[in-house]
Amino acid sequence: MQSDSTVAFLIICSAMVLFMTPGLAFFYGGLVRASSVVSMMMMSFGSVGLVGTLWVVYGYAMSFAGATNAGFIGLDGIFGLDPAKLLLASSYQSASDGNGFDLVFAGFQGTFAIITVALISGAIADRARFGGWMIFAALWATFAYFPIAGWVFNFTVEEGAVVDGGFLVFNFGLMDFAGGTVVEVASGAAALAVALVVGRRFGFAKGMHAPHNVPLTLIGAAILWFGWFGFNAGSQLAADGTAALAFVNTLVAPVGALISWSLYERFTVGKPTAVGAASGAVSGLVAITPSCAYLHPVWALVLGLLVGTICALAVELKWKLGFDDSLDVVGIHLVGGIVGTLFIGLAGEKVGLFFTGDPTQLGRQAAGVAIVGIWSFSVAWLSAMLVQKTFGFRVKSTDEIAGVDRVIHGETAYSETDPRWTWRGSNYIAEPR
Amino acid sequence: MESVLDQGNTTFLLISAAFVLLMTPGLAFFYGGMVKAKSVVSMMMLSFGSLGLVGVLWVLYGYAIAFADGPSEVNGGEQFVGIDGWFGIDLAKIGLGQPFADATNGATAFPELGFVAFQATFAIITVALISGAIADRAKFGAWMVFAGLWATFVYFPVANWVFNFDLGEGGVVDGGWIAYDLGAIDFAGGTAVHINAGAAGLALAIVLGKRFGFSKGITQPHNVPLTLLGVSLLWFGWFGFNAGSELAADGIAAIAFINTLAAPAAAMLGWIIVEYFKHGKATSIGAGSGAVAGLVAITPACASVSPMYAMLLGVIAGVLCALAVDLKFSFGFDDSLDVVGIHLVGGIVGTLFIGFFGEGVGSAFGFGWDQLVAQAIGAGAVLVYSFVLALIIGFAIDKTIGFRVKAEDEIAGIDTVVHGEEAYAFGADRG
Repeated sequence: MQSDSTVAFLIICSAMVLFMTPGLAFFYGGLVRASSVVSMMMMSFGSVGLVGTLWVVYGYAMSFAGATNAGFIGLDGIFGLDPAKLLLASSYQSASDGNGFDLVFAGFQGTFAIITVALISGAIADRARFGGWMIFAALWATFAYFPIAGWVFNFTVEEGAVVDGGFLVFNFGLMDFAGGTVVEVASGAAALAVALVVGRRFGFAKGMHAPHNVPLTLIGAAILWFGWFGFNAGSQLAADGTAALAFVNTLVAPVGALISWSLYERFTVGKPTAVGAASGAVSGLVAITPSCAYLHPVWALVLGLLVGTICALAVELKWKLGFDDSLDVVGIHLVGGIVGTLFIGLAGEKVGLFFTGDPTQLGRQAAGVAIVGIWSFSVAWLSAMLVQKTFGFRVKSTDEIAGVDRVIHGETAYSETDPRWTWRGSNYIAEPR
Repeated sequence: MESVLDQGNTTFLLISAAFVLLMTPGLAFFYGGMVKAKSVVSMMMLSFGSLGLVGVLWVLYGYAIAFADGPSEVNGGEQFVGIDGWFGIDLAKIGLGQPFADATNGATAFPELGFVAFQATFAIITVALISGAIADRAKFGAWMVFAGLWATFVYFPVANWVFNFDLGEGGVVDGGWIAYDLGAIDFAGGTAVHINAGAAGLALAIVLGKRFGFSKGITQPHNVPLTLLGVSLLWFGWFGFNAGSELAADGIAAIAFINTLAAPAAAMLGWIIVEYFKHGKATSIGAGSGAVAGLVAITPACASVSPMYAMLLGVIAGVLCALAVDLKFSFGFDDSLDVVGIHLVGGIVGTLFIGFFGEGVGSAFGFGWDQLVAQAIGAGAVLVYSFVLALIIGFAIDKTIGFRVKAEDEIAGIDTVVHGEEAYAFGADRG
C-alpha cells in the first residue's frame, strides 16, 4: 500500500495537470481573433466537462483494463473494458477501504485524457461549431485516446521489468514516460486530420491572423508549464529521485527550446517574438514529456535546443502544404512528440544508440510513434468526416467572417463595441457621442 | 545502502519548486500590466528571456558555482576550485553530473536534483526582477547579455555566500561567508534575491537614463487586471519560495508559510493607508505593490519572527516602500517599475528587522546588537557588490552594443521595433 506522502504527491500533481487545460484555453485563446476567443476557450472547457464525464463513466475502465482482471471483455493489451472499473467502482471501493492510491490515480489519468482532447482544438480555430466539436471529442476520446492510453500507460512492473500491460509498452518495449505518444503524437495526428476535414479559414495566408492578446497567450503558457511539472514528475507516481529527475528535465528542456526558438527567429525574421518564446517553451515541454525520466539533464538541454529549432521550422509546413492547422498543433505537438520519443532511442540512459551502439530501442520508439500516429489520425479523420457529413463541423462562411463568438455562444469576449469607447492608436479613449 | 528518502519532503520540495517557477511569469504580468500597451511584449520578454537564459546557465555551471563546497567543508567538494566560501566552482557539479548520478540512490531525505530545481527558480526570478528598472526602453539582446553576465558574476557567487551552508550541532557549521563566517540570518533570500536585484536595478536605471516624459503620473499602467493577476501568481508562488526554503514540511515551514500570509496582508493595508493620506484614494496598483513589498520584507525573516511581528514588519515595509517609490522622482533616476523602492528598500527593511525582533537574536528581546550588525554587514555587502558589478556590466554593454533603443523607437513604442509584435489586436478595424 502506498504511503500518505505518495497520495499527497499525486493529488497535488493531478490538480496541477487539470489546471493545464484552462491554461491551454488561454494559450490558444490569446492567439485567435478577438471575435473568436470565447469559442476557442470553450472547446477546451467543453473537453473538461465532456471527457471528464466519459472518463468516470467508462474511460478509466477502458484504458486500464487487462486480462488479469476478472470479467475483462475484449482483446488483452489492445482494446477492452474492465466492467469492475466502470464508474470508478473498484477504485472507490479500495479508497473506502483506506487506500486512496487507485482512486487518485484514476483522477490523475483523467486529467491527461482531458487535456489530450483539448489540444486538438487548436487545429480548427475560428471556424468550428461547438456541437460538432463536442461530438468529435466524444468519438475520438472513446475510440482513440482511451485505447491508446491502455497501450502505453497500463502496465505492471515487477522487479524493474514490465511483466504485463498494453501491447506497445509490454510487447514492443516502447519507452514513453509521461505521454509523448499517447498525448502529444496522438493529439497532433488527430489535429492534422481535423484540419484537413474542416478545411482552411477564409484569409488563410501567413500573417493574416495576428494574435489578439499576447499577454493572455503568455498566461496560458505559464500555467501550462506550471502544470507540466505535475504531468511529468507526477507520472513517476511517487516523490523520489526519478520524479526529481523528471522535474529538473521539465525545467531544462523548455528553457533550451525557448532560447533556440528565439534565436531561430532572431536569425531568420530578425526579431524574437513573445509568441515564439512561448511556443518554444511548449515545444520543449512536449519533447521532454516522453523522455523526462530517461535523460541526463545535459541531454535534456540538447533535446530542448534541437526541438525548439525543429518545431520553429515545422510550423512553417502548413503554409507550404496548405493545411490550416491554425494554432500549430501539428508543428508543435506532433513534431515535438515524435522528436522527444525518438530521442530516447538516441540518448536515453543505458538504452540510447549513442551509448550502446544498438538501434533496437530507436526502432521500438519509431514503431510506437507510427502506430499511435496512424491509429489516431485514422480515428480522427473518420470521426470528423462523420460529424461533417451529418451535423456539420464548420460554421457558415458569413458567420466565420463576422466572428464565431456571437453566433455560436451569443457572447462577445470584450465589450469593445461599447459606443462610449473608441479605439485610438494604442488605447481606448472615452468619447462622448 | 538503506534508503532514507522521505516522499513527504520530496513532494513538498518539488511542488514548491513548481510554485516558485510560476513566479517569473507572474512577475512578467505584474510588470507587463504597468507599462504602456506598446511595450508590454518587451516587458514580458525581459522576464521570459531570463527564464530561458538563466535556466540554461544554471544547468551548465550555475549550480556548480552557487553550491560549491570547499575541500575543508563538511560536504567537502573534491573537485573544488577557488576560494572557499567566496568564489569557487565544484567541477563535479558542472552539467549537474554529480546530482544526476546520485538521483536514485535514496541516500538523502530528498534527491539533490529536487534542490537543484528549487534553487534554479530562485536564480531565474532574481535576474528577472531587475528588468522592472528599465521598462519601455531596453534592447532585448543587450538585456540578455546583461542577464547572462550578472547571473554569472553576481547571482551565482552571492547565492553561495547566503544559501550554501551546512547545519550541524549548534547551527551553521560551514558554508558561504555571509551565512557561516558572518552569521547573518536570511531565510529565503532577502539579501541574495531582493537587495541583490534591487541594487542592480538601481545601477541599470542609472546606466539607461530616464525615459522620455519621465515625470510622475505620465506613464499610466495600461492593464490593471494583468498586474493584479501577476501579484496573485507572485503571492501564490511565494508560499513555495518561503516555506519551501525550509526544505522540509515541518513546523518551521508552517511558520514561514503563515508569515508569508500575515506580512503582505499588513503591508497591503500599510501602503493603501499611505496612499489614502497622500492622495485621498486607495489604488489597486498600490494594494498590489503593498502586498509585494510585504512579501519582499518577510522573505529573509519568515522563519525568525512570530506572526505578530510579521504583521508589524508588513506594516513598516508597506509604509516605507510606499514612501520610497517617490524617491526616484526626487533623485531623478528612472527606476520605472520600482525595483529599488520595493525590492531594495523592502529587502533591507526585512533583513534588518531580524536584528531587532528576530526570535532568540533580536536586540528588542535583550540579545544585544551583534545580530543587527551582522545583518547590516550582509545587506551592505550584497548591495555594494551587486550595484558596482551591475554598473560596470551595464556601462560596458551600453558602450559596445548599446543598451537603449533609439529615441524615436522608444516614443513610438518598442514592441513592434524590438519584437515585431503587437500585444493586442482589438477594435472593429482589427477584429
